Amino acid sequence: MSTHDTLIIRSGDQLLQPTTRRRFLGLLGVAGSVVFLPSVFTACSDDDNITDPNNPASYTLNLSNDTGILNYAYALEQLEAAFYTAAITSAGFAALSAAEQEVLADLQKHEVIHREFFKAVLGANAIPSLSFNTTTVGNLTANATVLLSTSQLLEDTGVSAYNGAGKYLTSAANLLVAGKIVSVEARHAAAIRDIRDARGGNTGRLFAGDDVVSASGLDVKAEPGTVLASVVSLNVVTSPLSIGTGPTGTATADVKAPTPA
Amino acid sequence: MDKQPILAAIDPEIMDRLATRKQEIDNGSYARPGIVAALAIGSVPIALAALSRDAFAQGTIPTAIKNVLDFALALEIFENEFYKAVLGTSNYTPYNTAFATVRSQVPATALATLQQIQKHEAAHVATLLATGATDVFSLQVTSTNAQFDFTGNRSASGGGPFAKATTDLGFLLEVAQGAEDTGVRAYKGQAGNLMTQPAILEAALRIHSVEARHASRIRRIRRSLNTGTAALRYSGTVRGGDAAAAGATDLGTNAAAVTAAFTKIYGAGSNAATFPSESNVTQAGVNVSTLTGAQFGVEAAQEAFDEALDRADVVAIVQPFFIPTIA
Repeated sequence: MSTHDTLIIRSGDQLLQPTTRRRFLGLLGVAGSVVFLPSVFTACSDDDNITDPNNPASYTLNLSNDTGILNYAYALEQLEAAFYTAAITSAGFAALSAAEQEVLADLQKHEVIHREFFKAVLGANAIPSLSFNTTTVGNLTANATVLLSTSQLLEDTGVSAYNGAGKYLTSAANLLVAGKIVSVEARHAAAIRDIRDARGGNTGRLFAGDDVVSASGLDVKAEPGTVLASVVSLNVVTSPLSIGTGPTGTATADVKAPTPA
Repeated sequence: MDKQPILAAIDPEIMDRLATRKQEIDNGSYARPGIVAALAIGSVPIALAALSRDAFAQGTIPTAIKNVLDFALALEIFENEFYKAVLGTSNYTPYNTAFATVRSQVPATALATLQQIQKHEAAHVATLLATGATDVFSLQVTSTNAQFDFTGNRSASGGGPFAKATTDLGFLLEVAQGAEDTGVRAYKGQAGNLMTQPAILEAALRIHSVEARHASRIRRIRRSLNTGTAALRYSGTVRGGDAAAAGATDLGTNAAAVTAAFTKIYGAGSNAATFPSESNVTQAGVNVSTLTGAQFGVEAAQEAFDEALDRADVVAIVQPFFIPTIA
């Protein structure tokens, strides 16, 4: 029969040990004392630490404010930067002409700059660095054809994402910055499409083809949920990127980036 | 053969914005796809205005919003009429005649590009009209009335510093590039004025990115004709600022005027803090040429972000091409 025992816990890990755990539970049953030293709590991971890459909550986007929208953009730029950084040392890149390689090299620089820009402006509010499936990325850069079609999809998707998210920003300064970036993403998209056009039908129209510009002269746009679903389906991002809270405002009908023909 | 609503066939996304007036749609005009394809874009906007859920049913749209739409429309009419003149499809025959020489110099693929661009500019005109813009400067070009001077002299008899665009392919493409890059900067400068109307803002963003595609393609064509001019990026992005960012290879017969124009297009606006030169590398207070993990030098940083211009800056650029005074 236990007397009034006192179990002293110095660290949370102790509770994982069977002997300690048995004693802990036993004491709860007979009104014994358990003392948690302060060291147990200071060692705990802080669930509110949004930059903790080991905490799935860190990758959950709250799109109800500008910070969340910018984190959404940051996530997409991380994806593009990772793709192009892998691309420029890939077999697909080696198979490109010098002029084509110049394009890919430019795009890599620009996307990395975009990524680091968002990281800098978001500061402590930034989501962590995403992890990527290097096998999948390798497959997507294995030859010139798949490298170029993946690039086109990423750029068109980026355009659609910024065009769909712009209306949710509440600060004009943030909207201006987003506009400056989507402007460049659209230039990228046109350049990649033009490269593919020259390798294919040489129509002179693919840069802003009828598959991506509507009869009203409007480019693609997609809601954040649509874009994230597309990104997830690429199987490139392994981090648990998701939307926790959607945007404040009225969604519009999606006109998605097309699958490259 | 399948029948489908005209509007859905032309632009499927329109159906999402239409008011749910089943009666009109059920009893409305149905046509076989072949007929649908033959309809001119110009016939669509009237139906759009009547049925669009986005139309301001209670009356006038807010003045601040309309001002932006009217301004955008003026620029789109200008671009549309410029490309029509180049292509020889203007309502105003003297424009077509003026550009006949250079037209014959345009290679087939580049010609298709100009056709695609013109198609979009015409669509932008129609879309802006359907959204509530009006031609407040009376710019519509008819067989007898034309309000543009594409030589940049505000004169019906031309003779301006850009006249060489009518006879020289390289110069023509410089002008086209300048026009597209001006439009891209103009839309960015106006976006903040549309935030109270999210659907209109979104439409403006979707037009803006198309113009950026245009600008990129023109720049690539120019680089393919001037392969040694590395300042003209194959990525279609803008390196440097002021006149250098034009990557001009020909300044025509009035170099000072052409240089001044490119300086306006790619330089700082009058409010240089908000509308800096395209050479700018400070974004949201961050120097993007020295970011840890992204130290590629100043040129990549310049290319990675485009800049905006405000309305007055854009007016200063385009006024020489408009015979009426725009503001």
